[in-house]
Amino acid sequence: MKRNHLIALVVIAFLAGALMVTIQDASTYATFEMASKKTPESVTVVGQLDLEEPITFNSSTSMLRFTAVDKDGARSIVYYNQPKPTDFERSEEITLTGLSSGDTAFFAQNILMKCPSKYADEAQFSSK
Amino acid sequence: MNFIGEHSLWALAGRFFTYLAFTGALGTALFYGLNWLRPGACSGPDELGRPKAAHEPFLRAGRGAFALHSIGVVGILTVLLTAILSHWFEFDYVWRHSSRDLPLEYVFSALWEGQEGSFIIWIFWHAALGWFLVRGAKTWEHGTMTVVGLVQLVLTSMILGIYVFGVKIGSSPFVLIREMPENLGLPWTTIKDYMIRIPAFRDGQGLNPLLQNYWMVIHPPTLFLGFAATLLPFAYAVAGWIERRPLEWVTPALPWAYFGVGVLGTGILMGGAWAYEALSFGGFWAWDPVENASLVPWITLVAAAHLMFIVKKKKTSGGLTAIMAMLSFLLVLYSTFLTRSGVLGDSSVHSFVDLGLNGQLMLLLGLFSVGSLILLLVRWRSLPRSNADEAFSSREFWLVIGSLVLLISAVQISFSTSIPVLNKLIGPEGLVPILGEAMAPPTDVFRHYHSIQIPVAIVVSLFMAMVPFLRWDSTPNALLKRILPSLLVSLVLGGLAAWGLKFDQPMYTVLLITGMFSALSNLDLWLRYQGGGWRSGGQALAHLGFAFILLGALISNGKKVAISQNPVFLHKDFPANEHILIPLGDTVSMHPYWVEWTGERVEGHFQLFDVNFYGTAENQSPGKKLFSLAPYIQMNPRMGNVREPSTKHYWDHDVYTYVSFADMRSPEEKASGWTEEMDATMGRGEEVFVFEEYMMRCDSIIVKSAQMIEETGDLATLDMAAKLTLKHMDGRKETIEVPYAVRGNEASPGEAEFVNLGVKVRFDGVSDEPGRFKMKFWRKAPEEQEFILLQAFIFPYINVLWLGVVLMAIGTALAVAKRIAGPKPAPKP
Repeated sequence: MKRNHLIALVVIAFLAGALMVTIQDASTYATFEMASKKTPESVTVVGQLDLEEPITFNSSTSMLRFTAVDKDGARSIVYYNQPKPTDFERSEEITLTGLSSGDTAFFAQNILMKCPSKYADEAQFSSK
Repeated sequence: MNFIGEHSLWALAGRFFTYLAFTGALGTALFYGLNWLRPGACSGPDELGRPKAAHEPFLRAGRGAFALHSIGVVGILTVLLTAILSHWFEFDYVWRHSSRDLPLEYVFSALWEGQEGSFIIWIFWHAALGWFLVRGAKTWEHGTMTVVGLVQLVLTSMILGIYVFGVKIGSSPFVLIREMPENLGLPWTTIKDYMIRIPAFRDGQGLNPLLQNYWMVIHPPTLFLGFAATLLPFAYAVAGWIERRPLEWVTPALPWAYFGVGVLGTGILMGGAWAYEALSFGGFWAWDPVENASLVPWITLVAAAHLMFIVKKKKTSGGLTAIMAMLSFLLVLYSTFLTRSGVLGDSSVHSFVDLGLNGQLMLLLGLFSVGSLILLLVRWRSLPRSNADEAFSSREFWLVIGSLVLLISAVQISFSTSIPVLNKLIGPEGLVPILGEAMAPPTDVFRHYHSIQIPVAIVVSLFMAMVPFLRWDSTPNALLKRILPSLLVSLVLGGLAAWGLKFDQPMYTVLLITGMFSALSNLDLWLRYQGGGWRSGGQALAHLGFAFILLGALISNGKKVAISQNPVFLHKDFPANEHILIPLGDTVSMHPYWVEWTGERVEGHFQLFDVNFYGTAENQSPGKKLFSLAPYIQMNPRMGNVREPSTKHYWDHDVYTYVSFADMRSPEEKASGWTEEMDATMGRGEEVFVFEEYMMRCDSIIVKSAQMIEETGDLATLDMAAKLTLKHMDGRKETIEVPYAVRGNEASPGEAEFVNLGVKVRFDGVSDEPGRFKMKFWRKAPEEQEFILLQAFIFPYINVLWLGVVLMAIGTALAVAKRIAGPKPAPKP
């Protein structure tokens, strides 16, 4: 059984290696402040869209500019180099992946939105 | 109370069938289990080879219970389908997942859109497959059916929808909306004719527009049949290990394992076809957690199925085989947990919403995992020991290595997919806080997964190319020479192809060559050494199909070209994106095509954008028209608009395009020309700041004529005007008069326009405050050239992938058929 043990060892070594690579690839959840310290590393920021601030979309560059509030309540201007996601304003939470430019803005590469559940509207059943 | 128009009897029937299915499953587990585990029953067939317990009353009871269970399951399906087809929106499930305008073919999609429905389809397949065990498992019937009964018991509990001591057990699809916890006690739930009175009950919420696609009619049931198929190897493995037959279970389980490999593999890639056709992700695979969760059990099932041959032929590797077979089913359960618990909410676009069943899901998962683990540990010693190493040139040796490579692949995908779960367990706010900060999924998922999965694919394709040529025990060197021709041809062909396709990453080139190698060598094996008949072709065809899947995925993804490049330069570190702006009627260059947007039209729920593709003429101007595409936006006021692609298929490449942005305002809104309506109340000499760039001043109010009715002193006619001056911040100035007239009781507001500054005013009348007047202002909408943003990709050779799926399905079907048919009858002399 000696060679089988050797194989087991090799497989475990490969597994460990694969997991190491995997763990190193994992990004971290951050606030805008942490993101600015981690530049140029990509991070994931969970927050909300600030609807008070303008959401502008430049169609010729298809660049979206908006303001987001992170979990600490800090605001940052966010640039997203993609067309505006559908129902963007309705999102109740947005997950931004990207990197901070230091302290001026956050450049999102990807936006995932959580929209309010369509089932939540109980008011619809009130009899009028 | 009798509610008018309500089908509460049907709801009751649905509940009844649910309880029937539940108790049936309980009976199945109980009666089969009692008979199975009674002393002396675990020793297989009697001396004459007959199933020992054929006349046991418990056996009949078990079968009867399973029949009741199956009737219950079919009943559940029937009631739910009837409710959806008849638009009974008093059912919460029907209201949530369907609507009156839902086309008939999508009724099924509505059926399995929700969690409850997808549990039902899963339970249904388990019940259907269970009958194959009842009819054909012979001595294994007790053991496997006990396991099936237990699994069904736990799964049907997920749709019970009852409260036991205040704990919710399952979520029933037969709950009426007025019975939902959040509605209990609300006044309307006591109105007799609430169904007629409340408008919300006239139509349902509708099916998610993304799922209104024909792939969504067949993808979920196929996928769930694949999931269900993992139950059989699991049941056989558990039965075998409990009965101390840790090797023998493999023979009857083997065809089912391949059945699962074929169906699950097809089901997964049907999901890919759906994503490619209906989603604007730009591809058929996105390494999304939900996709991964269905891929991982397939990978371990492939490993288990291949290992089963070693157990069957060589009576070794029993432990690893059992682990892989059990793992496949457990990973299906885990995948259920991942997609349904809401834990993926942050990281996946298509997970289910949380139904508050997390505890139950975890219990289910924990029960089966811990049970399997204990079984393996307790019975590990009943495995026959073998002290000899497998020969280096033996098939069994390389099959074991291959399955371990697959395990590495499965572990990496599971690990990364489970990051949200790990956070819940060991994150800073988790159960056992170990991590300092929460882990987030990798930001570049493609790079992340490919860094491990491409090397794995290279090794797997090499194994697929060579291991089928190896013999059990050991292989003479002469046999190994058989793979030389395909190796040489694939080196040359692959090299040429890599050069022709301009592959620049060495890993991709290697995979291209090894992929071709495995395709060619399996074809060679089948045609030259196995006679090329259908009966013998299963293995080679399935391998050929999988090699094609790898090649198709590699080329179509690795050489996917975004032809829609935004020409606007932003910054050297911030590349312009891949969305091109096309003004209406314009033709813009999208190398190698020129595209023209000719207009939009509405068809039902779809807003289609007609896009023409032209070739490029010699002088770089648009050439002749090649084809037209109509990417569309599905308009759904309740769930938001969905962008859907349109694709031109050629045999060697696809041109895939979707509208990534379009002005979806109604034509009236677009044409009105005046926007940003604002109200103001003004008096003489007052100023208002309007539209953030103008100062509006009311210079004077001029009464031009007024007539009184002499008897009453009331106003008969009045003509007046407001003299307004609008001043822009840059100094431009314009003065106009806005009229206002009263004729008896009728007032007619007047309108006037600052023609040069583009502002319109309406004089609405007298305000409540004396001496002040109500005004409305609009500004002229800027002259907008209508445009769309378009994203377009070329996917080269994606048909190789789809061909691969078909070949793999045919191959596994042939292999299963061969196993079921048994050994080939001896040729007649």
